Amino acid sequence: MIEIDALTKVYGAAHAPAVDEVSLRIPAGSVFAFLGPNGAGKTTTIKMLAGLLTPTSGQVRLGGFDVARQRSAAMAQFGAVLEGSRNVYWSLSAWQNLMYFGRLKGMRKPRVAERAQDLLTDLGLWERRHDKVGGFSRGMQQKVAIAAALIADPPIVLLDEPTLGLDVEATRIVKNWIAEQARELGTTILLTTHQLDVAQELCDRVAVMRQGRLVADLPTRELLARFRERDRYEIRLEGAAPPGFDAVTREGVTTIGVRVNEPREVYDVVERLRAHGAVIESLTQVQPDLEDVFLALVSEPSHAA
Amino acid sequence: MTFARGFAAEVRKGLLNLLAGRRETVIQMITFPLFYLLIVLFMGRGQLRADLLLPVLLGMVALTFIHEQVNRVFWSYLGDIQSGVLEQTYLTPLPSAASILGRQVAAVIAALPTALAVLVTGAAAVTVQGARLPFDAQVIVPLASIVLGTCGLALILCGLTLVFKRIEIITQLSVAVYAIAGGTLVPLAVMPDPIAFLSRLIVPIAPGIEAMRDILLGGHSLTALPTGWGLGWLLAQPLLITAAGVLLFNRLEHLARRRGTLGRY
Repeated sequence: MIEIDALTKVYGAAHAPAVDEVSLRIPAGSVFAFLGPNGAGKTTTIKMLAGLLTPTSGQVRLGGFDVARQRSAAMAQFGAVLEGSRNVYWSLSAWQNLMYFGRLKGMRKPRVAERAQDLLTDLGLWERRHDKVGGFSRGMQQKVAIAAALIADPPIVLLDEPTLGLDVEATRIVKNWIAEQARELGTTILLTTHQLDVAQELCDRVAVMRQGRLVADLPTRELLARFRERDRYEIRLEGAAPPGFDAVTREGVTTIGVRVNEPREVYDVVERLRAHGAVIESLTQVQPDLEDVFLALVSEPSHAA
Repeated sequence: MTFARGFAAEVRKGLLNLLAGRRETVIQMITFPLFYLLIVLFMGRGQLRADLLLPVLLGMVALTFIHEQVNRVFWSYLGDIQSGVLEQTYLTPLPSAASILGRQVAAVIAALPTALAVLVTGAAAVTVQGARLPFDAQVIVPLASIVLGTCGLALILCGLTLVFKRIEIITQLSVAVYAIAGGTLVPLAVMPDPIAFLSRLIVPIAPGIEAMRDILLGGHSLTALPTGWGLGWLLAQPLLITAAGVLLFNRLEHLARRRGTLGRY
């Protein structure tokens, strides 16, 4: 479990807080998305969570251990892949990297070797284990970084933009693997990403930060449902749209987007279309995706969690 | 146990890097002996004088260790900060000073081939001049003092790197200053008193080099060193510098965590 209490960071006395009184509870075994636009304070929060940055005030506990006061015990619970970093030594092979980080985590050599073999096999790198990481593709390097973060089988894993820059196949492998780690091994995974489809697909719960504050912290379904209040419908027509309707025609298909306050208002729109002799091909309710929710949260003046 | 495993992993990684950079080691094994011979030629006004070959040889061997321990560790640390790998070492239960000490041990081992090349070159040059290379097992003590004191210096430089980043010039300058003020080329005894005093006080290699010369060239015992401040200071100075290094490193690391400069370049 990850517990964050009133975490605050101020860089220099004259600046506004980069992170302002953020509190979170991430239950064990869940996949948690931590989202926010650039400059929202995500990276600062993550670095405080990892013990790489000292908070101005507040507390972080990983698996019950205080990161500031019980660093060794807290770090034994934790593995991370940080965005914008190599994370592993490019001058060493995949195998040497895993052995190095496993030993640094205090593991016995036979256990590291066993775990490294499992991880490299799972991630499809076993045949290339003795090649230097510097010669790997971006996707393979990311896989080695993930394997290094998981070498000690930590109960809590932070993955900062784990699929950034990966091709479709590599993204699929990493996504499946994240889901498997949480589902089958009960690993708590904290995920930050700008690829909101990845977050929506994988995460049980989502938190959104804006200007150093949490603006949402809800289960993914609940968050999406909350934004379903402003229902949207999509009506497909045969032929052109009647005058007075905003329509988009693409590849011969005309689509009208309708936003209503009450579901019964859809009938009014349908009646108006029928009155103009339009032939309706289909009518579907548009479900908001995480991208819609995210954009709404980060653009609105304020939105309580 | 975590400390021991992490320390061993750090040493092993350093040795793997040494193996990967063996071409660089071979180049150093050629350039350092050449540098040594050129210095002696320069000091002897074009002649390889036997009375200069031996004292400078001892200084050059010490300088090889300080060069490897400071430069190799500093650049590898800076490289790890730049690439972001250093942050990963902080996500382990291992105390960060253990990582630097592991790097130091690897650097000492990395210095051995070059030091040996300088020693063999010196021995050959001395033999050609009709003298012989002396040996006394007591020399291990001042050599260990040099290695330990340099660990303290490396800790201070790595700590400074965490906070201030671009301090390459300080590192280069410190090695150059130690080469001169440490008595590697010119014995402290012939330097002005204030400079000799400061060197003996704070330069990690200075008491060690003086003691090596006293033992190997003067034939003195460790317990009766005629120059410098004696055996007590020979043992105390590196311990004090290392203790200061650990303290300063911890303070600077604390500052880096507060400022957020641990992994930012």
